Amino acid sequence: METVPMSMKLVTLALLVPLSATLLAPAQAQQKTTLTVATFPDLDRAAKAAVPAWNKQYPNVELKIVSLQYADHHTAMTTALATGSGLPDVMALDLRFIGKFAESGGLEDLAKSPFNGLALREQFVRYTYTQATSSTGALAAMPTDIGPGTLLYRKDIIDKAGVTEADLTKDWASYIAAGKKIKAATGAYLLADAADLRDIALRAGLNDGEGIYFDAKGQVLVDSPRFVRAFELGREARQAGLDAKATSWTNEWAAGFKQGRIATQMMGAWLTGHLKNWLAPDTAGKWRSANLPGGLYGSYGGSFYAIPKKAAHKPEAWDFIRFMTANKETQLNSLRVLDTFPALIAAHQDALMDEPIAFLGGQKARLLWRDIAAKVPAIPVSKYDAVATDIIRDEFEKVVAEGKDIKTALADAKSLIERRARR
Amino acid sequence: MRRADTPSTAMAWLLVGAGALLLIAPFYFTFVFATHPRTEIFNSPPPAWFGTSALSNFDLLLERLPFWRNLGMSLYVASMTTALNLLLCSLAGYAFATYEFRFKRELFAVVLASMMLPSFLNMIPSFMVMDFLGWIDQPRALYIPAAAGALGIFMMRQYIGSAIHRDLIDAARMDGCGEFRIFWSVVLPLLGPALGTLGLITFISSWNNFVAPLVVMRSAENYTLPLALRSMQSPNNTEWGALMMGSAIAMLPLLIVFFFSARRLVAGLTSGAVRG
Amino acid sequence: MKMRQLKARDVAPYLFIAPFFVLFLVFGLFPLGFSIWLSLHQWDPATGLAAMRRVGVENYWYALTDPWFHKSLYNTLWFALVSGLPQHLLALPLAYFINRRLKRSRNAVVGAYFLPYITSSVAIALIFSTLLSKDYGVINAVLAELTRVPLLGTLMPAESIDWLGRAAYTKPAVAFVVFWRFLGWNVVLYLSALQVIDKDLFEAATLDGAGEWQQFRYITLPLLKPMMFFAVTLTIIGNLQLFEEPFILVDIEKGVSQSVMTTAIFMYRLAFSDGDFGTASAVSWLLFIVIAVLTWLNSRLFGRQVGGEHAAR
Repeated sequence: METVPMSMKLVTLALLVPLSATLLAPAQAQQKTTLTVATFPDLDRAAKAAVPAWNKQYPNVELKIVSLQYADHHTAMTTALATGSGLPDVMALDLRFIGKFAESGGLEDLAKSPFNGLALREQFVRYTYTQATSSTGALAAMPTDIGPGTLLYRKDIIDKAGVTEADLTKDWASYIAAGKKIKAATGAYLLADAADLRDIALRAGLNDGEGIYFDAKGQVLVDSPRFVRAFELGREARQAGLDAKATSWTNEWAAGFKQGRIATQMMGAWLTGHLKNWLAPDTAGKWRSANLPGGLYGSYGGSFYAIPKKAAHKPEAWDFIRFMTANKETQLNSLRVLDTFPALIAAHQDALMDEPIAFLGGQKARLLWRDIAAKVPAIPVSKYDAVATDIIRDEFEKVVAEGKDIKTALADAKSLIERRARR
Repeated sequence: MRRADTPSTAMAWLLVGAGALLLIAPFYFTFVFATHPRTEIFNSPPPAWFGTSALSNFDLLLERLPFWRNLGMSLYVASMTTALNLLLCSLAGYAFATYEFRFKRELFAVVLASMMLPSFLNMIPSFMVMDFLGWIDQPRALYIPAAAGALGIFMMRQYIGSAIHRDLIDAARMDGCGEFRIFWSVVLPLLGPALGTLGLITFISSWNNFVAPLVVMRSAENYTLPLALRSMQSPNNTEWGALMMGSAIAMLPLLIVFFFSARRLVAGLTSGAVRG
Repeated sequence: MKMRQLKARDVAPYLFIAPFFVLFLVFGLFPLGFSIWLSLHQWDPATGLAAMRRVGVENYWYALTDPWFHKSLYNTLWFALVSGLPQHLLALPLAYFINRRLKRSRNAVVGAYFLPYITSSVAIALIFSTLLSKDYGVINAVLAELTRVPLLGTLMPAESIDWLGRAAYTKPAVAFVVFWRFLGWNVVLYLSALQVIDKDLFEAATLDGAGEWQQFRYITLPLLKPMMFFAVTLTIIGNLQLFEEPFILVDIEKGVSQSVMTTAIFMYRLAFSDGDFGTASAVSWLLFIVIAVLTWLNSRLFGRQVGGEHAAR
């Protein structure tokens, strides 16, 4: 019998050692998972800012943040959902698209196990959950930031015109009357675009559970008195020459702020940061933030995170979502880095809320915004909201630019919306 | 040759000159804006001369995007597309222009028709094809489908049809040249201006196309430059200075390609080719 | 030997055009078929492939009776005419002028005319909205200055024009940007075609006493017909599919966007805003028919000359 040569034994040993090492040490193996998060600017900066803290808490999960332009991102996500391929683990969605995506059926219902998202419901600003819920009652996404609607106004200009904040906010009629006084005394416009006025006035008197354009049965509501009144107000503002007809985010608009030619702007609280950073930095200290006129509470924008049904790493995705949304530190960090207002109520209790905001003349505006956020009605979204918004906007343009009659315009809008939403 | 009247020449010069100024203005302003911070770009009136923020804009750009990789990807894809098009389109255009063969008209009609459908609706089926082939996130998904563009074939057919004399080809054939050889050694050298134009057009359209990469690319490093620059745009919070800097740099390769092809294009020395 | 040569000559053209058709088969045919199939279904892509619902020709009927579709067709044809016609009417004489008169400055001038085509969309959007700004734009500033000029001044508008805010002005403004963008492209195309024309022809004509205009009309124009066919076809196809310039100049969220909504933009809205890919596909096929018809008409005008006397028979 031949003995196994020494060299063979050595070779075998050399092979066995690493082999057994790998077999025996699965528990210690550092298996890094890559979590793909698809998002868009500016939200991507919130995710990127959270990376260091994430790595500390979840060292085995590496974040891969893929960012595309706003419309491109939602298009890419639509494409991915259509084919069921190329889906990220976490999908960021904007308020404008959440209705469509929630209805698509391609997102996990976060209310079910193992997520049990409903357990977290009380921790978030009330209306956000409604926005993320589909018509079948599925919770399609978790809210991460909100845009409490506020009226930003130039204190120095209204002082000059002898107008007070209360005049501006009492109701729509007094808002417009104040606008006339401001125009007469200072020559400044009340607002940038009459369409903005129409857009927010539409939401007057809505309660929890009432949709803006559609009711619970899907009937189109655009010929209701609420819409007529909003159109009338917008038209009145235009005819009295109170709006600068400036499109948002253009030179005119920025110039309007820089030169004090626009006295007020209704938008999400986040506009304060933009004004301060680049739109009109030299006007610091002259602005104040107030409630929207007429006791209206609304929101401008908001972002959500969802998990596609075909995502590869769902448990980690849920960890990430909770990390971004239900974690107070992350939410506050986003506030610091991006000026986005947290959706998590716990973040509203932090000392950061008491911080006086220099741009607003030292006003502790975050307390106001927190208050506004709590009072915004929980309005359900419909997947045809975008269509209805477009059509109403076009009809309003015809009313103010071509003198079309309001009742006719709204009737046309109704039939057009019904046509588009026929399915 | 009689010289034309001076007044009409002067008038023509004036129009051409004024026109040229209007044409250059936006290009010029892109570079000017690239050197200003965001706040100044939105000044009224906007800046007309260069500012001092070029470096800071550039730094911001590099911070936000894997800029050099994106630039490299764009260069690679555009070059491959152009090279392939120059060869394949002139070949096909030559075939359509100089041969008679069965179904020639119908086949050319298909080529023409393929240009008439808007591309963005093809996003989803294109994605499905790329997914099936396993080409997602790879540059070949961008230059292979575009390797023989209908536009190029159409153009080369027109050009070859009017510029290349039948006799030239017949003579070469009688000399015993194989079909491909005729194309390669006899016809191709005469296509200077057309190749210059086609190369220019193909390079530019490949460079500026952001829909195809949007469908196919899944990682930021693999984005082409226009897509990457777009990904920097936020609805409300775009860093315009950095974006303009990126756009300005993105236009430079196109300018360079233009100057290269302009030499061939406006040479004006190729007129002798038509005669035997 | 003759048999072999004949064979190669027969096979060669098919081989030469094969690359295009192979690529087309793989990458073009499937999307084409998919699009036809889709136009007969109702589909919101986010709901996944399985959710398609067959509706037959309902989408086509819906599109044909839709007021927005009609408006978009009108806008599209308006743009095609208003920006397309000047593009060619100006590009041809310009190319001729550059070819004949400019020697040393040729590259620079052509370069200047070509720049708009190279300028990125983002830059165009930002800079034109700045230039066309109502209160701060250069254009309005120049117009304001011109009001001082005695005769011309009376024609000038009294107050600054809201170029991108009022429908009556936005349409010409967008048409101008399209014209601006593609003028140079057509100049380059015509210029490359002019290179081919034998200089001797012109010399002979001059010796015969023909004037500049006559030479242009009887020598240049006929020989340019193939390129004109090409360039005009491209303009037709390009303009009827016009999407980019109106889309980037006029924010889709603004009311005035309806006045510059082209059929391609309408299609985009149907697909990505309304979530109705089926109707969008139907509209793309309807548009295709319009484009095909116009292209065919165009080929009747110019196409006969393709190849002319020089091509193989």
